[in-house]
Amino acid sequence: MSVLPPLGPPGHDPVSEQYEHGRELLGVDPGLDAIDLVQLDDQTMELNMGPQHPSTHGVLRLVLDLDGEIVRGCRPDIGFLHTGFEKDFERHNYQQCIPYTDRMDYLSPLSNNLGFSLAAERLLGIEVPARAQYLRVIMCELARIASHLIWYGTTALDLGATTPFVYAWREREKILDINELVSGVRMHTSFIRVGGLFADVPDEFYAMVAEVAKTFPHHIDEYETLITGNAIFRERTRGLGVISAEDAINYGVTGPSLRGSGVAYDLRKARPYSSYDHFEFDVPIGERGDIYDRYLVRMGEMRESLRIIDQALAGLPGGPVNTSDRQVALPPRNEINTSMESLIRHFKLVTEGFRVPRGTVYEAVESPRGELGFLLVSDGSNRPYRCKVRAPSFSNLSALPHMVMGEMLPDLVAVIGSIDIVLGDVDR
Amino acid sequence: MSSVEDTAGSHPSAGARALDLLRRELPDAVLAGDEGFGEVSIRIPRERLVEVATLLRDHEEARYDLPLFVTAVDWPDREPEVPRFDVVYQLRSMRHNDVVRLVVQVPGDDPRVPTLEGVFAGMDWHEREAFDLLGIEFEGHHDLRRILLPDDWEGHPLRKDYVSFGEPIAFTHNLEWAMPAQERPPDMPGESR
Repeated sequence: MSVLPPLGPPGHDPVSEQYEHGRELLGVDPGLDAIDLVQLDDQTMELNMGPQHPSTHGVLRLVLDLDGEIVRGCRPDIGFLHTGFEKDFERHNYQQCIPYTDRMDYLSPLSNNLGFSLAAERLLGIEVPARAQYLRVIMCELARIASHLIWYGTTALDLGATTPFVYAWREREKILDINELVSGVRMHTSFIRVGGLFADVPDEFYAMVAEVAKTFPHHIDEYETLITGNAIFRERTRGLGVISAEDAINYGVTGPSLRGSGVAYDLRKARPYSSYDHFEFDVPIGERGDIYDRYLVRMGEMRESLRIIDQALAGLPGGPVNTSDRQVALPPRNEINTSMESLIRHFKLVTEGFRVPRGTVYEAVESPRGELGFLLVSDGSNRPYRCKVRAPSFSNLSALPHMVMGEMLPDLVAVIGSIDIVLGDVDR
Repeated sequence: MSSVEDTAGSHPSAGARALDLLRRELPDAVLAGDEGFGEVSIRIPRERLVEVATLLRDHEEARYDLPLFVTAVDWPDREPEVPRFDVVYQLRSMRHNDVVRLVVQVPGDDPRVPTLEGVFAGMDWHEREAFDLLGIEFEGHHDLRRILLPDDWEGHPLRKDYVSFGEPIAFTHNLEWAMPAQERPPDMPGESR
């Protein structure tokens, strides 16, 4: 049997016909190839980059106007990962929304869980126990380190350094092991729920977290040895992708990308949630707002996260990890055995969920990428009437054209890496 | 609710600072100041939106200069008493560590608000998203087109009357509703689903 397509008459090429047909289906401009340059005028050319491009950290398409190798225009095209999570929220009860939040910013799912839970808890007027708050902090800070490790590895990889990637992946694995231990899942944990946590942590947890807190400072020293003083890295990042503090604020840039421009605003400090005011930590900031400063900020943040984890683990209180408020909490197992009412309540909570008072709240947390906010509108039913997710990557990416204007094409990938976008977060 | 009061400092609610300022500087631009769950929503008319946003951005006592987002909430059942859409703006003041919500109500048959991209560069994409998913039209926006969905998408998914799940089953009584516009005979009347 032949694997080649049948031959047609002379001049007829079935392969290229199929190819053209496929491009037609995809709506590709006829005659424009993925790597084709389009001559706009004497000076400028249009280049399509992505969506399948290793340096775009997902599926991001950029249409670039190039003058030689200099970027004169940049038009991001997003939405390739749009999944309609906000519509899904409207069709699920509050606890069922938690797994959807996992999948938005998939490198730091715990922050998303936390933001949504805090918003719902504000509407419900419930306070979670201190132990749950501390465990939330520990898990979120571990997620921050894991997320920054991926950023560190991939950004270095984009700039041609392959070794850091392998190091970062090795250490991230230890944090994923902790995720697996507490929730059974490595990435999409759904560990933080409305009203508390999925479950208390097993006994092995303390030793594993202590091990991370003990060994990671040494690992971060290793990363810094590899990159921070590296002459090539400095050459390629110093003074590039600069954004001033005023411009960053005007574009709604938050998180390490904003702090790299010298604005010391961190929601964990400014509006502490989930007991962050119990811990001592600093907010690293940069001066110039270039790629290198954003790099230094994130490296500093990993060290600060370790400090927080240390303190939270040392001061971890005992007690329950879920609220005792019965409008949200499931009745305890032994009660179900003896009380009909508890059994009914359990059944109702699992099938219908709980009702949330009418109202609107905006709750924001400091995710590894910036301000992750949830505008939660309730109409008094068991499902969110509307939930708008304020994704940090979305706003941060919108400042990309401003950052790369006038830069060289090869530096563009470094700038994309330095704002640390997650396309799942951008597109939702 | 104790945690809310703690973090808001001397002000009882998030956004109260903005409400005080607006009541003083532009009293006729404040239609209502609703308070709930420790947050203030300031309802303003759409004609005054740009003016209010500029004041909140530049005034020394406000400095709400970080644009968080704009979106809309669809309440189709409350028309005609109250306009259908709440267009919601959320701004943050880092100077005064506060956050405020502005609400502009627009009717379903005329969902237009002026663009704020001249005030905040960061509103550009958020306005495109609200246009894409909810069909709010931002007058004066330089490039108002879909951002997340494909260009040829029909309808605005986050509107409450948009059916987003399952294959619609076509019966004789709902044929025009169930059939996508491009497959519908040109002479068939009715709205698309």
